[in-house]
This record gives sequence, structure tokens and C-alpha cells, in this order.
Amino acid sequence: MNKRSSPFNLIKRVAFNFMIIFILVYLLFPFYWAVNSSLKTESQLFMTPATAVPRDPATLEFSPTFQNYSAVLQDGQFLRGLANSTIVATSTTVLALVAGSFAAFALGKLRFRGRKPALYLILAMTMFPQVTVLTGLYAVITALGFPARISLIFSYMIFTLPFTTWVLTAFFKELPDALMESAQVDGATPFQTFKSILLPLTAPALVTTGLLAFIAAWNEYLFALTFTSIDPSARTVPVAIAYFAGAVARQEPFGEIMAAASLVTIPLVVLVLIFQRRIVAGLTAGAVKG
Amino acid sequence: MGSTNDSSAAKKKPSSRKARLSNLAKREERLALRLLLPALLIIALIAFYPLAQVFYTSFTDRVFASGQETNFVGFDNYRRLLSVHVTTLDPVLDEATGEIMIDADSGEKVYERPLDVLPREPRRFREVNQFDLFGNRYVIGATDPSFIQSVSNTVVFTVVSVFLELILGLAIALVVNSKFRFRGSMRAAMLVPWAVITVVSARMWEWMLAPSRVGMFNALFDRLGMIESPIAFLAAGTYQLPAMIAVDVWKTTPFMALLLLAGLQTMPEDIFEAAEIDGAGKIRQFFTITLPLLKPAMAVALIFRTLDALRVFDIFQVMLGQAQYSMASYNYFQLIGNRAMGLASAIGVIIFILIFGFAIAYIKMLGVDRNE
Repeated sequence: MNKRSSPFNLIKRVAFNFMIIFILVYLLFPFYWAVNSSLKTESQLFMTPATAVPRDPATLEFSPTFQNYSAVLQDGQFLRGLANSTIVATSTTVLALVAGSFAAFALGKLRFRGRKPALYLILAMTMFPQVTVLTGLYAVITALGFPARISLIFSYMIFTLPFTTWVLTAFFKELPDALMESAQVDGATPFQTFKSILLPLTAPALVTTGLLAFIAAWNEYLFALTFTSIDPSARTVPVAIAYFAGAVARQEPFGEIMAAASLVTIPLVVLVLIFQRRIVAGLTAGAVKG
Repeated sequence: MGSTNDSSAAKKKPSSRKARLSNLAKREERLALRLLLPALLIIALIAFYPLAQVFYTSFTDRVFASGQETNFVGFDNYRRLLSVHVTTLDPVLDEATGEIMIDADSGEKVYERPLDVLPREPRRFREVNQFDLFGNRYVIGATDPSFIQSVSNTVVFTVVSVFLELILGLAIALVVNSKFRFRGSMRAAMLVPWAVITVVSARMWEWMLAPSRVGMFNALFDRLGMIESPIAFLAAGTYQLPAMIAVDVWKTTPFMALLLLAGLQTMPEDIFEAAEIDGAGKIRQFFTITLPLLKPAMAVALIFRTLDALRVFDIFQVMLGQAQYSMASYNYFQLIGNRAMGLASAIGVIIFILIFGFAIAYIKMLGVDRNE
């Protein structure tokens, strides 16, 4: 009974904590290095050997600089890019989740002819490298005459929609048919079943898919570069960063790029912190009996 | 099981039951189509034309961004990309003694020059690689050695990095799925690599892997006394591919881990409770319950990771440039550098087919789509 205090359990807990620390260091260290670099001046960046914290080249005292951050924040491009990225990535995620979960409900839970071809057709849309489809996509976007941000949202469907559809199909399929049948016996329409049973039960998958799709859209570069070329005010963050990197004639402002990267990553982490609370573990416990 | 029940029921009351069933089936079919409509409309609007255009262009000699006339060339682009020829290289005999010539410096046999034995018609074949088998030396030649090399780079890159990501991602997902205090923050922290903008993360790694002690890795290895002189990770052929794999594994393990974690979290807990009561140990539970139940999540995670890995572009383009190609960065080079749009489209189609092959292999191997 007295499980906690036995030496075997103590070793297990120490090993477990050690593993968590190891994982955290592995995942976070490169990002830490980016933050570290962002706090260095140009001369500090080129010190040999590289220092783990910003140090004064002469005295080796700890001396971080915030000049990179103020340069980034004073650049109007960057803040506008942040707003554009938020609009584009949020709309993309919502559209991909709505269209994707509808399609996934049909593909995962309903019987109809052409199920498999539909599944592969949706996947096929994302199997070409981005560069290859760029010219064709550009022609479509020009023909439709969408403004830049709308074109971005639609062109991002190419990689987000197949992703949300496939992941959600896999998760819906795993839910027992008995659930749907009993709901139908209770007089629920298929759509009610979908909304009040399938969606809540697969909440972890929905949130995860949404986050992954959001970040994929947030980070996209090639389409954003192409489709905002006519309307610079619609530039997203990755493009804005690329531009202020090129705007300076002297050496490339590596510290500023790292400062921007750190600034951009933090809101995403906050976003995850907010959403992950909604993924309540064990949500399905007891929901499926028999 | 369901079908036998249906048929026995249908025998009892053939007409009405059958009619009701087909009516239900029809309604289900109509509902399915309505639900698929938004996705299909988006595909029709956005994806249909570009994809069809890629297929069509791959059979032409179209030049990118030019008014030059486009001709239909059949399979020429594919032939140029995929022609491979393997042949033996004979050792060179010393004219005076009639014996096999030995290189004075290296002490190894001297072989014929690959260019002399590889075919020149219809196009000149160039050397991709040489290998020894059963005491003979062979040479692999191709009409487009850079492309063949890029295919091999990309496939090795994909297989190794996706495999490592699966193992690491699974380990991380299992750890985060167990209950501990900082689980929420851990889940946010583990997303960081995926959240760093890809192009920027490539620059960041380029900086960390710099060929002098300005770079973090060389500074660290030097501090630990592991190296005599700094390593040129991105310039030396032996380190290029491993460096790309390391960067990709770091960046995309969170993607794998999060999808697997979602799979773990949607598992009904009562199965584990039942197994616990039956006295199944944790390891046994993992192999008999967790892994089989995780298959669907694993299959989609593998498909999308493989799909991305086979199209890998940013890190090769930023960190290796023209030194080593991935298929997609070679594609970019042909399109933007050489303006060979027909050829670039053919590369796109080849990548497409390769991805399709991988996707089907995963689905068959993991048996996720069997209940048809």
C-alpha cells in the first residue's frame, strides 16, 4: 500500500524527472541560443569561443543589449506583419477545421460510394512541392482577383485542409459506431450527433490539429512572399523578417533576425498555454461502454 | 457481423425492411456529399488547376517567365531525369608488364575513367557513384546525376529522420501523457521547435553549426576537448546529410509527439483499468493495448511527416544552397535558376508519385483502412 516511499518508486521518480529535464533541454536549447544571440551586439556575436550568455568582449562581464529588440519593434513592417499573420493564420485554421471536420465526419463515419477516392483526392492536393504549384496557383489567384490576405488564406488550404481532414478522419473512425447508433435511437439527427458527441470526444485531436495547422500557416514563407508582392501591406511575419534582413546594406543583421524570431515564438507559446487547458485528459473515460 | 444480421432480418420482412435500408443508405449518402461539399469546392477552386497544370507542363519544354514557344515533348523530361546506367569498370592494365596498374600514392588498383565506359547516346551519362561488389568495381551513371543524387539524399533524409522522429515523438508523448505537475507548461514548451519560423530556424542552425568557434557546437566540442580543429559541418560532405537530419528531427519531433499525444488522450481509460485488474504489466499494456490503439494516429502522423520530409526545401536551400540538393531544392534550382519549367514540373510529378507510394505503403502496413 505504501507505494510512494519504497526505494524502487523513488528511483523511478528520479529517472522520470531526469527524462523530463533531458527532453526539455533538447527541445529548448536551440531556442535558448536564439534568444542568447538576440541579446548580443554584432561584435559579441563574433566572439570566439561563442559565449552562452552575452558577455562584454573585453571584460567578459554579463552585458546583454536590447538594441536588436528596439530595432525590430521600431520597424513598422514587423508589427504589421504580426497583425497580418494573426489574421491569416486564424482564418486559415478556422476554415480548415470547419471544412475538414465536416469532411472527416463523412469520411470516417458514413458509408457512401467514392469514400476512398475522395480521401485520396484530398491528400493528393498536398503532394506536390510548393514551388511546383506556385505558377499555377498564381494564375488562379490572379483570375479570381482576391485581395492578398484572402488569397493567402485560400492558398494555405492546400496544405492545411488535407491535414485536418485526414487527422480528424482517423480520430472519428476510432469512435465506436455504437455511440452514433444510440444517439440516433434517441432521435438525434446525424448533425446533432456530430456536434454533441463526435466533436467533444475528439477535442484533444481538434485542438492539436488546429494548433499544428495554425503554426504551419503562421510559418509559411514561399506563398506569402509571392502573393504579397503586389501588396506589401499584407506581408506576414516571415516575409517581413526576410525584408528587414535585406534592407540593411551592411552585414546581415543576424541579431535582429533572432530577436524577431524570439518575439514571434512567444505569442505562439502563450496560445498553446491557453488552448492546452481545454484538452482535458481522460475526457473519454466512461463515455464509451461496451 | 452487421451484414449477416441485416440479411436475416431482411428475409423475414423483405420488402419494407429493404426499402427502409436503402432509403437510409441514400440519406446517408446524401448527407456525406453535403458534408464533403465545402472541402471539394475548395479543392476545385484552388488546387485543381495548379495540379493539372503541373502534370501537363511536365510533358512540355516550357520555359519559366518567357514568351518562348512551348512544345510538347512527351516523356523527354522524365527520360532525362530518370535514365540510370550501371556498368563494370575494368582495371587498367600496365602496357609494359600486362599486369593490373596500381596507383603509386594510394596503393589501390587503377580503374578506367567512368566517362569512357558510360554511354553517350542519346545523352551523355555522368558518374553518380562507384561501388565494389564481389571484387568488381561498378559505376552508376545518369543523364542527370544531380537529380539522382538529390533523390538518394531525400530518401535517406526522409527514412532516417522520420524514423527518429517517430521514436522520439512517441517517447515524449508517453512522458507528457503521464500525470505530473508541470504537464501543461511542458506541453507548451515542447511545441517551441515547431513554432520557430522554418526559414529563421534554418539560419539559427546555420549559425550554431558555423565552421569556427563562433558556432555553438564547435565552441562546445572544443571546450570538451572532443575535437582538434573546428568541424565544417555544412561544407564537409560527410556531415551535410546528418546535419540536415539533426535539424529536421529537432524541428518536427513536436509535430509527431503532439499527434501521438492526442491519440493517447482519446484512448478510453477503462481498457487500461481492465488490463490492470487482469494483472498485465505496464510494458505488456504498452505493446498489447497502447500501440495497436495508437496505429491510426501514428499512420496519419507518419504520412504527413513523410510527405513533408520528401518535399523538404527550406533547410537544404538555406543551409546547403547548391552544395547538396534535396529533390525540392533541385526543383527550385531548375525552375528559378535554369527556368526549365517543364523539367521542374516533371520533378514535381516524380515527388508526387513517390509520396503516393509511401502513403499507400503506410496505410497497408499499419492496416488502418481495412474495414471497407
